[in-house]
Amino acid sequence: MISLAGRDILHSWGKYVFTGAGLGLLIGVTLSMAGIYRGMVEDAKVLLTNSGADLWVVQRDTLGPYAESSTLHDDSWRTVAALPGIAATGNVTYLTMQAWRKNEDVRVFVVGFEYGHPGEPAYLIAGRPITRTHYECIADEKSGFVLGDRVRIRRHEYTVVGLTRRMVSASGDPMLFIPLKDAQEAQFLKDNDAIVNDRARTASNPSLNRPGIPGLLDAVIASQAANHNVNAILVRVAPGWNDTSVAANIHRWLRLQAYTGAQMEEILVAKLIATSAKQIAMFLVILSIVSGAIVSFIIYTMTMSKIREIAVLKLIGTRNRSIAAMILQEALGLGLAGFVVGKTVATLWAPYFPKYVLLESGDALRGFLAVMLICALASIVAIRAALRVDPATAIGG
Amino acid sequence: MSNQRIALAALGFVIVGGILATAAGCSSSSSATKVVLARAELGDLNPTIFGIGTVEAQRAYLVGPTLSSRVSQVLVDQGDLVRSGQLLAELDPVDLDERMASAQSAIDRAASAVEVAEAQLAEARSRSALATASSLRYTELRQRNFVSSEVTDGKQHEAKAALASLDAAKAALDAARRDHVRVKSDRAGVAKQRAQYHLRSPVDALVSAREAEPGSTVVAGQAVLRLIDTKSLWVKTRIDQGRSQRLAVGQVAAIVLRSRPNESIPGKVVRIEVSSDSVTEERLVDVVFDKPPENLSPGELAEVSIALPALKSALSVPSAAVHRLLQQTGVWRSLDQHASFQAVRIGAQTLEGRTQILEGLKEGDEVVEFSAAELHGGEKLHRVDSLAR
Amino acid sequence: MAAAILIKNLSKRYGSGDTAVDALRKVDMSVASGEVVGLVGPSGSGKTTLLKCLGAVIAPTTGTMTLAGQSIFDQNEGGWQIKDLPALRRDRIGFIFQAPYLIPFLNVTDNVALLPMLAGQSNATSRARALDLLRVLEVDHRAQAKVAQLSGGEQQRVAIARALVSRPPVILADEPTAPLDSERALTVIRILNQMAQQYGAAIIVVTHDEKIIPTFRRIYHIRDGCTFEEPGEGRPA
Repeated sequence: MISLAGRDILHSWGKYVFTGAGLGLLIGVTLSMAGIYRGMVEDAKVLLTNSGADLWVVQRDTLGPYAESSTLHDDSWRTVAALPGIAATGNVTYLTMQAWRKNEDVRVFVVGFEYGHPGEPAYLIAGRPITRTHYECIADEKSGFVLGDRVRIRRHEYTVVGLTRRMVSASGDPMLFIPLKDAQEAQFLKDNDAIVNDRARTASNPSLNRPGIPGLLDAVIASQAANHNVNAILVRVAPGWNDTSVAANIHRWLRLQAYTGAQMEEILVAKLIATSAKQIAMFLVILSIVSGAIVSFIIYTMTMSKIREIAVLKLIGTRNRSIAAMILQEALGLGLAGFVVGKTVATLWAPYFPKYVLLESGDALRGFLAVMLICALASIVAIRAALRVDPATAIGG
Repeated sequence: MSNQRIALAALGFVIVGGILATAAGCSSSSSATKVVLARAELGDLNPTIFGIGTVEAQRAYLVGPTLSSRVSQVLVDQGDLVRSGQLLAELDPVDLDERMASAQSAIDRAASAVEVAEAQLAEARSRSALATASSLRYTELRQRNFVSSEVTDGKQHEAKAALASLDAAKAALDAARRDHVRVKSDRAGVAKQRAQYHLRSPVDALVSAREAEPGSTVVAGQAVLRLIDTKSLWVKTRIDQGRSQRLAVGQVAAIVLRSRPNESIPGKVVRIEVSSDSVTEERLVDVVFDKPPENLSPGELAEVSIALPALKSALSVPSAAVHRLLQQTGVWRSLDQHASFQAVRIGAQTLEGRTQILEGLKEGDEVVEFSAAELHGGEKLHRVDSLAR
Repeated sequence: MAAAILIKNLSKRYGSGDTAVDALRKVDMSVASGEVVGLVGPSGSGKTTLLKCLGAVIAPTTGTMTLAGQSIFDQNEGGWQIKDLPALRRDRIGFIFQAPYLIPFLNVTDNVALLPMLAGQSNATSRARALDLLRVLEVDHRAQAKVAQLSGGEQQRVAIARALVSRPPVILADEPTAPLDSERALTVIRILNQMAQQYGAAIIVVTHDEKIIPTFRRIYHIRDGCTFEEPGEGRPA
């Protein structure tokens, strides 16, 4: 027995391949959407893994430092470090802001870190670590900065001395690592106009500017111009100690919030990415329905164009099930061609997306099964139409 | 026929190509981690310590009154050079001049009182001499019984009274003299107070700020003028405590002022301050210019690089190769294409990014400088020349 | 000669009650194997309905049909006597249409070999049998060609080959010469006669083509659902 479906496909292969390519682009978009979701989850995981921390200590009752803003005093680390089971602590600040290079600005996630403490970039792909205590930075390659670039953040220019890869924030912005003190100043100190304005306001406040107390106003202004806050303390737990129990200790005795890696992942994925995940899920559903509708329409049209041949085949003695099998095989073949094209284009265009797209083979397999299922279901309409054809119509006239 | 063959071949190509692309996409995520290796090299290292400093005057003076008063004159302005002892400003003495005049009158009056007392003393002396002589005469006469004892007693009494008066007059003279001294001292005190209202420069200096204008009231301790000793400008530099270990007085420094970013001015460390800043965790180091540049402005920021003693023939690796795993410092090595962590002991680090290795590696050993992902022990490695695009 | 086709008392009524239409009324017909008879009538006479009944695509209302001695339909016995009608059509009835109606995505050999393949024969055997028939019909030089590359006459021959490949006892031809000129039409009739003789098939040719009617030895006329038999001229084609 020859394959009727195979012969039909070979006969009008141009039309078939063209349709398959079109369907393939649709499937490629669907796979890319799933890849975007996976990429977002991966970004969140990478953010947590690359920070080198076992615990995140943040302001009490906040979901910080990524999902919610959190502020701690920068000397809180001393009380944390004194607890048992703590191997290392590191103050960090996080701020998403614009960095300027020449005349273009790039959105970056500025991380203030302390040399030698958790929070510093664990590995580089080029350059060297920061050696000067000020005005040097390490940038992620996604920012487009290269070694030697002068980057402007707030009031100072920083020289890029090292590059990293895949160090991005939860929303995909490239990270820029600068010394903690510079980051505290950047996060706090505003532009000159605002500073002058603030000084004038303080000077006009009679309780802060007393004539009988020389030096009071200067002292107040000086204290306003200093920032001793950080967003989180990253903690490495000593070997042999349990993350959860150390976190519980911190929570109980220090009145601070401490999250383990698993809790941070849940916060990022469940809270931060949740809305995007729902959107992507909706898109996937819509795209699947659209793909199904398109396949259904195409197969129906292809069947209808063969209605005379089907009538003749039925008359001369072809069974219903052979005809149904032909239509089903054509639908599945279309799905296979579309999937191959879709997977290929998704792989090819994934690196050009602004966000990280992660195409997992598990997703590809699931996508393949879904495509096959949708094609099979979509062919039902055409099969029913084909089966309803009356062979008597071949005896025309 | 041939058309069908062509069609079949084309379809076959597409399918095979697609499968290959898919396979390529899948396999790239599971291949070995790309790394760039570097050698441990012997060479001279020039470690440097870096810090940000502010140009300050070593000696700065606040010139102001010791009593609350009103400024009546300010004779110099910001930027003027003044000499030691020069009158800089005057404060309103209020009633001090009148008090001086009053004290002067009191002195005059006291001087007159002394004269009076002196005259009274002379008078008392003469009376006393008379009474004494008279008393002696009558005593003599009494002895000859020419006068009554009553009269003699009376004359003796007069003599005693006159002597007492003499003592009283002497005492009065002393009192008047002391009073004279007292009012002279009062006047001297008022004069000193008056002098306070002349603000004079303590040293040769430059006026750096003029903070009160004539007519404004200043309280005790408030500055009317600020002076700085121009010869004493230096850069007070803040060095992170963690890196301040090998600092020493006398080390050579290179200073880059914020206003002159392309110029490196040579200087020297003259003092490492005893107390550190515990809040910012920094050590304070004072660095002078070998030759102070002109138009130096106190308050200006500067970047200071202090040169530590050079290390000759030291083994070093790129600083990017040094990592901290758990509590150990070490480097990743590639053994049989697999990652292996080697603990090392590190020494000095240079600003250009080389770290001295004291123990754990020998010359020529290869270490992982850059990696495409975080490394774990035993991970498969693939050596490339460069990771950056 | 045994009757390959035997129809007795065949009627077909469409609809019921007042709107009922009797397309066939008590039709009797018999055709011997190897015989080629004509079925002639104007449009609307019921000849298409008769073909459909003979082709086992519609069920008659009354009557019996026997094909090569096997009872196909007996209204008294409950209608169709064969369970697998498609198999009947595939193996025992050959169809030739006005147009060749070849399958465009199969080549010439496969078009003919399709029926035996569907019947379960191996591809090699089916194709060999197809090639034999194509040779007899002198279109074997086009065996690998696509249908679209053939001329009208060649396609018609391939269609005839397809009708014959299962060696059916009955062949139903519906206006096979309608689009053809007289020379080609007579060629087709000659081939049909030749095939009938060679393979012993009973062939009914529905036609109103004046060019070929004289070639039949027997003609069934049909009008308003009734048939009557008439001897024909039997002129050789």
